[in-house]
Amino acid sequence: MKWLNALLGKKNRTVKKELAEENGEDFTDSSLDISEREAAAKSLSLTKSLRENLKMIREITGAPGDLAIREFKTGREQVEIALLHLEGFIDNKLFENILRMLGLGSFQAPVGKGAGPNLLQEFRRRLLQSAEIKEVKTVDDLWNALTNGYSVILCHGSATGLACDTGDFRYRNVEEPSAETSIRGPRDGFIESFYTNIALIRKRIKTPNLWLEELTLGSLSRTKVGILYIKGLASEELVQEVRQRVSRIKTDAILESGYIEDFIEDNPFSVFPLTFQTERPDRVAGCLLEGRVAIVTENTPFVLVAPMDFPMLLQAPDDYYETMHIGTFLRVVRYLAFGASILLPGIYVAVITFHNELLQAQLLLRIAAAKEGVPFPVVAEVFLMELLFELLREAGLRLPRAIGPAISIVGALVLGDAAIRAGLVSPPVVIVVSLTAIASFTVPNFSFGIAGRLLRFIFILLGGAFGLFGVQFGALLVLIYTSSIRSFGYPYLAPMSPLILQSFKDLHLRIWRWRMDTRPLLLGGREPLRQARGQQPRPGIEEEEKEKAGKGRKNDH
Amino acid sequence: MTTEKIHNRQLVFMLFMIRSTVTIATLPVLTTGTAEQDAWLSAIVSLPATLLTILLIGGLAVKFPEETVIEYSRKLLGKTGGTIISFFFLWTFLYTAATEVRIYAELLNTGLFPLTPLIFLVSSMVLLAAVAAVLGIETIARTADALIFFYIFFITASLLGAVKAFDHINLQPVLSRGFGPVFSSALTPAALGNQSLVLGILVPTLTTPRKAVTSAVLAALLSGTVLILSSITVVGVLGPKIGSSSIFPFFLMTRAIEISRFIERIEALVVIAWGMGIFINLAVFLYCGARGVSQIAKIHDYRPLIGPMAVLWVILSVHTYDDLLDLVKFFQPQIFFPYSMTTTILPYLLLWAAYLIRHAGRGEKKYIKKRRIKPG
Repeated sequence: MKWLNALLGKKNRTVKKELAEENGEDFTDSSLDISEREAAAKSLSLTKSLRENLKMIREITGAPGDLAIREFKTGREQVEIALLHLEGFIDNKLFENILRMLGLGSFQAPVGKGAGPNLLQEFRRRLLQSAEIKEVKTVDDLWNALTNGYSVILCHGSATGLACDTGDFRYRNVEEPSAETSIRGPRDGFIESFYTNIALIRKRIKTPNLWLEELTLGSLSRTKVGILYIKGLASEELVQEVRQRVSRIKTDAILESGYIEDFIEDNPFSVFPLTFQTERPDRVAGCLLEGRVAIVTENTPFVLVAPMDFPMLLQAPDDYYETMHIGTFLRVVRYLAFGASILLPGIYVAVITFHNELLQAQLLLRIAAAKEGVPFPVVAEVFLMELLFELLREAGLRLPRAIGPAISIVGALVLGDAAIRAGLVSPPVVIVVSLTAIASFTVPNFSFGIAGRLLRFIFILLGGAFGLFGVQFGALLVLIYTSSIRSFGYPYLAPMSPLILQSFKDLHLRIWRWRMDTRPLLLGGREPLRQARGQQPRPGIEEEEKEKAGKGRKNDH
Repeated sequence: MTTEKIHNRQLVFMLFMIRSTVTIATLPVLTTGTAEQDAWLSAIVSLPATLLTILLIGGLAVKFPEETVIEYSRKLLGKTGGTIISFFFLWTFLYTAATEVRIYAELLNTGLFPLTPLIFLVSSMVLLAAVAAVLGIETIARTADALIFFYIFFITASLLGAVKAFDHINLQPVLSRGFGPVFSSALTPAALGNQSLVLGILVPTLTTPRKAVTSAVLAALLSGTVLILSSITVVGVLGPKIGSSSIFPFFLMTRAIEISRFIERIEALVVIAWGMGIFINLAVFLYCGARGVSQIAKIHDYRPLIGPMAVLWVILSVHTYDDLLDLVKFFQPQIFFPYSMTTTILPYLLLWAAYLIRHAGRGEKKYIKKRRIKPG
């Protein structure tokens, strides 16, 4: 009998669904599933009867408390009007303004049969002082307008409503980004507001050729996503590829740009991030100027940049703002630190376990003396300490801010010191682990740091099992792999492999701004020259320029 | 399937690493033959021979910029003849690579990991190469791009480190026994020119195939320079007697170096550099072998072949030689030179002959045509 019941149940359901579609108003039926409700709501258009419209909206939304509906009559004809908005989404002053105008409308409103629609036209043309006004024709449109901070005017006798922009959602202020700080450089960071983020970028690149393509992702979350690029600089194929990959996403919700990142990456198994995310508008602007594409997502301060290459991860904005020598020095330090943060524990384990002869005698004796009495092999020692450090780091991140310092004291001083005193860990291991930890914090990009941490554990195991040969094996494997992957069709290790010597001016080095004449070869190929050549500041440059200009004029004649 | 393309620069790097790795690793100018303190002269003598080999192999490859040697050998010698000739080349790929990985494994075994079973070292290197070969020649070439700096840096560092221990007395007397021993030592390095066979497979993947010979010659000159410098340094540091009786003289030399009280034992650098070189070496050979087999068997994609070939390779590498001495014997000039002649030079001479017979007339016509157009 089970199958019969199932069949009947199914039948009932389909009948109900049909009913709902026929009447177009049976939203009180609790058996409708979310996708059915969504589909039904999408097909509903507004009717001429105000009462019916309001009933429909109330039924669909379940008449929530934050949906404010102000009903009144206006004009000589006493036309019924309703003004809808969502609490918390709007600016009260703007809203009051609209309310006042609606009252004023009563004196000039047209009379007669078409009073309703005409009244709306009148409002639109002359009275409303909103920044943006648009028409809504379906319930779905209406609701989208409300959730974007619009107030909607519905009028009896008109099947369209007017949505006026009154939006003022309360976001936090533009502050210094907490994940990417810098000493020299602008202090503003992205926030959760979509248009504020766009504005922060546009303030830096004011050309009208900075194009923004908006789309909405997520059937339930309906998140605004913007694809930002400089038209004519970013390669059309790249923009097309990004557009295609982003618009292909069919999901219910995008809560953070990380969701999009997962969907659009070239290689899902890559440990390394294949799209760059940043909180800093100046970095995004820099990337756009190189011909990259940015993906801005509503409700998150993290903007994605594609394509990404490996050197971007080790570049910090400070490098560009400081003088050339300091910038280059910082870069080199960072590259070394990055290498150390991945390989150092593995190499230490390998050398102590297998290749004692590589160490100088004195050093070896020291380490051996310190290791005296420690019950674990070096691999276990280093592995445990690294694990402990990860634990501390994660705990420090998740703890309420007030308890943070306490934990770091317990972790660093009590645990570390006690472990050494108890003879569980040897001091050199603690030195290596803390050195690695410090080195890993020099990586400006957080998610890349995570990738590095994962690799570090693998290298420890390889080093412990197979010595330096194992470390070399792992390093080569990582290198082959990273050489093979691409980000949006662009090779990941770009200026290093394939080798592009021209781009070395911005790799380990950061040469003078007046020498960075060309854009990166692969990305900025559309117009390789960024600036006029030969702008090196030197005595007599003014005369030279004048001379050149004079020559140019002579040639013209 | 998208066609993979590599840049000529990448070919130079790959050939450079392939050629210099083995020549430095075993330093055949010193360990084979009887040149002793005149090893550097042997290195110089072997250079023109290597260049000749490259001209022989690369010159023909350039005539068929779209095809691999497997394809055009069939065109030139007919289906059966071409296939037989191709098997010579494929065998060389397989066997040379198996020998090279064995050398590296033996080096690690004697120098750093005396207790590790040989098969483990061999198979992990082959595994790396197989991964790279599956990812394609583009990936291999890019990896070479990334590694070249480290490679050159490590080799240069170990050569410079030897300056302090260098004793020019070791290099004297020059040519005391005439040119005979010099030539005997130059035979094996010259015969190692058979590594350039990879040109036959790689040229069609180049971005500018017509400059393939230039690139290969450049690579040969660079690796020749490295060979000359390292033979001078090794003999200068170790002396001719110890140098020629050891199996890995370069490694031995770096072990003898002590730059300062704090920096000593830099042989790890050398081993790492060799690891890089051997890796590129194996990856390229495995790729070429698999490409060749797939073309003979008319299989569209070479990738599925790599797994079985890698296994075969490990077996061959472990079982061909009983021990290190066996390996050393193989590189003796009286064995290796004829071997290389029959597997590389003779087939290529045959191919050239066929080419000249078939294309001689046509080539002349082209020449005349060009001359006619020029004045107009």
